[in-house]
Amino acid sequence: MENHRNDGGSKLGMWLFLLSEILLFGGLFILYSVYRFQNPQIFHLAAEALNRPLGVLNTLVLLTSSLTMALSIFFLKKGSPGRSLLFLASTLFLGILFLFNKYLEWTWKVQLGIYPDAPRLLERERGEVLFYGLYYSMTGLHGLHVLVGLGILSVMLFFILKNKINHNHSVPLENTGLYWHLVDIVWIFLFPLFYLIT
Amino acid sequence: MSSFYEDEGRFRGILGWIFSTDHKRIGLLYLLAIFAFSAVGVLLGFLMRLELMAPGPTIMRPQTYNAIFTLHGVIMIFLFVIPGIPAIFGNFFLPIQVGARDVAFPRINLLSWWIYMAGAGLAVLSLFTGGGPVDTGWTFYVPYSLRTPVNVPLAVFAVFILGFSSILTGINFVTTTHQLRAPGMTWFRLPLFVWAIYATAWVQILATPVVGITLLLTLMERLAGVGIFDPLKGGDPILYQHLFWIYSHPAVYIMILPAMGIISEIIPVFAQRTIFGYKAIAFSSLAIAVVGSFVWGHHMFVSGQSDLASIIFSLLTFLVAVPSGVKVFNWVSTLYKGSIEVSPPLLFALTFIFLFSIGGLTGLFQGALATNVHLHDTYWVVGHFHYVIFGGTGFAIFGALHYWFPKMFGRRVGKKIPYLAWALLFVGFNTLYFPMLILGWEGMPRRYYDYLPQFHSLHLVSTVGSWILIAGLILMFGHLIYSLFRGEKERLENPWGGATLEWQIPSPPPRENFAEIPRVERGPYEFR
Amino acid sequence: MTPEGCGLKTYILVWLGLVVLTGVAVSVAGMDLAGWSTAVALIIAFLKSGLILLYFMHLREGGELRFLRWMIPGVLAILFLFTGLTFLDVAFR
Repeated sequence: MENHRNDGGSKLGMWLFLLSEILLFGGLFILYSVYRFQNPQIFHLAAEALNRPLGVLNTLVLLTSSLTMALSIFFLKKGSPGRSLLFLASTLFLGILFLFNKYLEWTWKVQLGIYPDAPRLLERERGEVLFYGLYYSMTGLHGLHVLVGLGILSVMLFFILKNKINHNHSVPLENTGLYWHLVDIVWIFLFPLFYLIT
Repeated sequence: MSSFYEDEGRFRGILGWIFSTDHKRIGLLYLLAIFAFSAVGVLLGFLMRLELMAPGPTIMRPQTYNAIFTLHGVIMIFLFVIPGIPAIFGNFFLPIQVGARDVAFPRINLLSWWIYMAGAGLAVLSLFTGGGPVDTGWTFYVPYSLRTPVNVPLAVFAVFILGFSSILTGINFVTTTHQLRAPGMTWFRLPLFVWAIYATAWVQILATPVVGITLLLTLMERLAGVGIFDPLKGGDPILYQHLFWIYSHPAVYIMILPAMGIISEIIPVFAQRTIFGYKAIAFSSLAIAVVGSFVWGHHMFVSGQSDLASIIFSLLTFLVAVPSGVKVFNWVSTLYKGSIEVSPPLLFALTFIFLFSIGGLTGLFQGALATNVHLHDTYWVVGHFHYVIFGGTGFAIFGALHYWFPKMFGRRVGKKIPYLAWALLFVGFNTLYFPMLILGWEGMPRRYYDYLPQFHSLHLVSTVGSWILIAGLILMFGHLIYSLFRGEKERLENPWGGATLEWQIPSPPPRENFAEIPRVERGPYEFR
Repeated sequence: MTPEGCGLKTYILVWLGLVVLTGVAVSVAGMDLAGWSTAVALIIAFLKSGLILLYFMHLREGGELRFLRWMIPGVLAILFLFTGLTFLDVAFR
């Protein structure tokens, strides 16, 4: 009974989960838009203090990782697991690179005394406290999703190596791809909202 | 053919249950857990009523009282009524009613039960760790929940985990309804219970994450002091209320829609007459789910939100009454000229209509801006939502238990005791909750430990009502448990003459429901 | 086009499109567009998401899950309504 396979069903289930994820981040986007509406000037100034080149770099990293993810699925379905593995590993690498950049960015901010509940941050304008509160919550939650994604990618890597998923049974990798692309899309919105809008 | 009770899985004994991916076993696991928690909730409610029997301290201290009303709310809402019908009866009957062998993702279904148990376990743990039991009320409103020394972080995290379980259940049901319908089971041949669970599942998928992020932020606020909801740091507590009610109002529909689905099953069967306005009922479920998602601001009329927002939310709130009214009229019309047999399930269903109507109509008073100012946070509100949730969802669950009992357990329920239990429940319920409406109208605030002497007599009546109600609950559940072991064996597939698929398979159902997937050729309420 | 959907070339073109759009977003952010900079940035973000949804996530192909194509705009509409109704409060207090 547990072997009844329903590929369309699995994909539908994954999509429903992604819709749920959209609203999870959606709550944060609502908060962001309200606070930005209330503190336009301060958000403007605070956004200028973020490291834009690093933000651009990370955007390119994630976009490219989406490409390698799509290619990995493409080659798995075509029946060349070797290339699929190669692109999957690239995705994994790019994901790690993204998190590493994020880590650098956060560390620099923390060194400046800008982190939640920091005495030096609380001395500043209220709008700036909110900006960084949102910055840490939203990029933090996104980073957490990348981290989870890396875990799933590693499992998929293992499954392909063990031939547990292959061109006949590629749905787990396709669903991983859907998740990874969604995480990318969330970043596509976070990036302009925090780094570009000045 | 042997039933699903006979072990055929990988494990034996209790492991064969807690690691089973069979939707019927998971439904029964939920049943056991959910009713166990609801019993605790009832006990807490009983203690609250005891405390309020007389003004001044009666049996407990104020802080204990605060913890108890919070716990009563958290348990009843997050552990009982939100998962209640979908997790128990949805799991057991949705796959059968659409003609499938199981839900779309049996293992995720089992996982959702485990997550539910983990969430419940954390909620229990939060009572004994940190600063002790939460005293914020089930809404965890900031800024109080940020300042109170009690163990808010763990309790909030527990509710977050429970939300996860709810989302997974929703995903399972939507996928099952889309993908696993038997041949010939078109959308408009789906039983209305399936429609209701389907609409509910969408709300679970789309609204739960919003409260998830809200609670997560509250947690981060407690642990890291992020400041998003903290007025000291520039945050806006009213935004917390917005996000909280964006979920928690639709959550009311997660509680009531499946109950309406049950009523739509019971009434045609016991009138032996096809349902009046099938499509109207099906679409009104969707309409309630959609419109109900945009009315949350009516919880915030006195919070300081803008007048414009209050006016619009009030208008939208009145709109929800329309699809709810459509349902009530259709149920009543179904009875017209039917061959009605007032068996216990129908009796509970009719009681649902009566009590839910009182609950719904009292809701209109609160939805109107001017009266809301007077009624907000009074016992009127307490009376109102108990009429809707207990009188509605609670009585629907009682009806469902009696209706599906022979199918689920293969035993019959006695013929006399359910009526007696019903009488106690009905009288007890109204004695308990109707005085609350009057108390609230007269100005008694909710969540208060003490009160003025002029409220004494009505509080006393209400407390006496709680005793009658609990006597009814004990009698009913005692009788059901007795029937479970000693009841007459149900040999018939279809004791009530139902036309939906679950009545065409043995009682209790075999392990994979259908020896052969049925071909559906008629609607769910076409009786011969 | 292979029967499985996009070919290799499509994927790379889509990626190029994404990179170009990112470049546009960054350079536009440097200009003074007064109140429009947010709108432009968001439009570009929606375009990029659309590319990913349609090509990388295969929504363009439809198939048995065709109704999902309506779910994304549907969910976005819900999110906008949530935001809009919240702003009825925030903007008119």
